[in-house]
Amino acid sequence: MADLIKLSGLQRYYEVGGETVKALDGVDLIINHNEYISIMGPSGSGKSTMMNMIGCLDSPTNGTYEFEGEKVHEMDDNQLASIRNRKIGFVFQTFNLLPKLTALRNVELPLIYANIPKDERLELAEIAMEKVSLTDRMHHKPNELSGGQRQRVAIARALVTNPSIILADEPTGNLDSKSGVEIMDVFDELHREGNTIILVTHEAYIAKHAYRTIHILDGRIEKDAQNKTTKQRKIQSKKKATA
Amino acid sequence: MFAYVESLRMALSAIWDNKLRAVLTTLGIIIGILAVTLMGTLISGLDRSFENSMSFLGRDVLYIAKHEWFGQEEWWEIRNRPDLKVDYIEKLKNQSKYVIAAAPVAMRSVNITRKDEMAMGINLAGTTPEFAQTAFMNIESGRFYTEGEERSGARVIAIGYDVANVLFENENPIGKKVKIGNYVFRVVGVTEKQGKFLGLFSMDNRAIIPLGTYQRLFARRGWMRLDVKVDDKHIDEAKDEIIAIMRRLRGLHPEEKNDFAVNQQDAFRQQYQTMKIAIGGTGLFITVLSLVVGGVGIMNIMFVSVKERTKEIGVRKAIGATQGSIMRQFLLEALLICLFGGCIGIILALGGSFLIDKFVFPSTMPVSLAFISLILSSFVGVVAGLAPSYKAARLDPIEALRYE
Ligand SMILES: Nc1ncnc2c1ncn2[C@@H]1O[C@H](COP(=O)(O)OP(=O)(O)OP(=O)(O)O)[C@@H](O)[C@H]1O
Ligand SMILES: [Mg+2]
Repeated sequence: MADLIKLSGLQRYYEVGGETVKALDGVDLIINHNEYISIMGPSGSGKSTMMNMIGCLDSPTNGTYEFEGEKVHEMDDNQLASIRNRKIGFVFQTFNLLPKLTALRNVELPLIYANIPKDERLELAEIAMEKVSLTDRMHHKPNELSGGQRQRVAIARALVTNPSIILADEPTGNLDSKSGVEIMDVFDELHREGNTIILVTHEAYIAKHAYRTIHILDGRIEKDAQNKTTKQRKIQSKKKATA
Repeated sequence: MFAYVESLRMALSAIWDNKLRAVLTTLGIIIGILAVTLMGTLISGLDRSFENSMSFLGRDVLYIAKHEWFGQEEWWEIRNRPDLKVDYIEKLKNQSKYVIAAAPVAMRSVNITRKDEMAMGINLAGTTPEFAQTAFMNIESGRFYTEGEERSGARVIAIGYDVANVLFENENPIGKKVKIGNYVFRVVGVTEKQGKFLGLFSMDNRAIIPLGTYQRLFARRGWMRLDVKVDDKHIDEAKDEIIAIMRRLRGLHPEEKNDFAVNQQDAFRQQYQTMKIAIGGTGLFITVLSLVVGGVGIMNIMFVSVKERTKEIGVRKAIGATQGSIMRQFLLEALLICLFGGCIGIILALGGSFLIDKFVFPSTMPVSLAFISLILSSFVGVVAGLAPSYKAARLDPIEALRYE
């Protein structure tokens, strides 16, 4: 099977007032199925740019990007939209829920663009809401929910299409530490269920939830390592699987 | 398929969130649609009353007069033309193979009195019994006067429906006496109600007496018209023939111009067409103008809507909306706003048409026009929505997401 994600020599330059800003400056990266990755780095180092690139929201200036063996850098707009819809789940720092829709409707939204019939949509949306333990808040509007609850709705929306990868750019950035921990529990659980997760964070204790941490500096990967605790946790999850 | 239903739902809820704004922006469309439908109603009413009036002037009746209807001649030129003579009638009837009936008509305005009642400004016509054939009128009660009465100069009179109503409220007028000035007339008939000619003068507001009597009592010479009913299968030939006969009667040399005119219903038709084009043109101008203004308004508000919802567009794109589906959503929104305006316009127009029908003249709002209106407003909606929708569809998702 092809790698889930393969970035080679990926560059993303911005022209600002005659100067070239190298937001990404040659990134090589392979991500496999069911990985759990955190991305760290100082502000302006290119974390969000890389997430947008992986999320097919942005196109590289140079370099190649293969997603499950398909060349994303050659895709047209409709193909990109389709990949975003079916293969990628986004979680944003600011939740980005549509304020006029109920939680359930927000979660349902990606399925509409996937052309799934209404009954099936509602069923899938409810399942997703269950996964984030929000079945009692399905018919609330976002402004009737706490920050943590909103982010859980956003996670439900990200996973409702059963995507190949969930991307979260500072998902706990707007939350207090208690809600942040709750959100991380959700991600941990999703990972145990077999999802692939990449999240950007500034907090070391958040990053530790992931099995692999990538450090970015000035648009390059500075360090890419398995976390210390990984081994122990692998044993743990194996135990669970056999139990 | 679901995508279309959903686009519709989204568009509807977006409009619902901004109801007042939608109503205000749609004002231009409402006025435009109102203008086009009311204009249609007006023209339908005009058509109807025009056709009704034209039925007073038979298609197969030629009206010989000194002047041409809606003609270009100067008044003094017409004044110098010799009067038409009563004996032309017999000559026309003898010499033309197309003439079926012919009647000379002299006319003036008089007051008719009876006891204390007075009917003022009545059009008194002096004519021969054949007028009954040329004039498309029916006698409601009594009879028209006879050849004998005409020749002997009898003082008999046929009165119009309204005249009868004014002078004889609840009585039967037949056989009763009325006075014109000091002359006493016996009523022999009442003509059927006919209505107004082109909404101007009432055909029921007239009275008819024998030409001989008329000439003896009121005027020996003066203005006269000859009404000639011809074979309705040969109207054009009849007209040519009558012109030739008239020229002979007038003793005109070939190089001389006609010093008379043979008029036809067509003159009114042409005149009416011109007027209709003027009304239609004005209505169309107002319609187009307000639709353009309305369209620009819609476009403007759609740009505002796209701007306000930039973040939403970013979110939708991030979760997989294609450019097409974003475009569709906003186009549909513009279309619905316009259709909504169109419907309001039609509803108002229905009300307006009802009022016109009730208080101005009988008319109906053409159904086809309502459809055209809806199509028109959809068209405006789509055209006005194109640029904003395209802008929305082409937004860069990252920048849109970052928009606050
Ligand atoms: N649209 C843009 N135009 C110009 N420069 C940009 C644009 N987007 C990002 N950049 C630049 O690219 C670099 C990387 O930005 P990016 O948003 O990826 O940083 P980040 O690592 O996510 O930072 P933070 O931790 O503050 O979110 C920055 O220097 C930024 O100024
Ligand atoms: Mg960032």
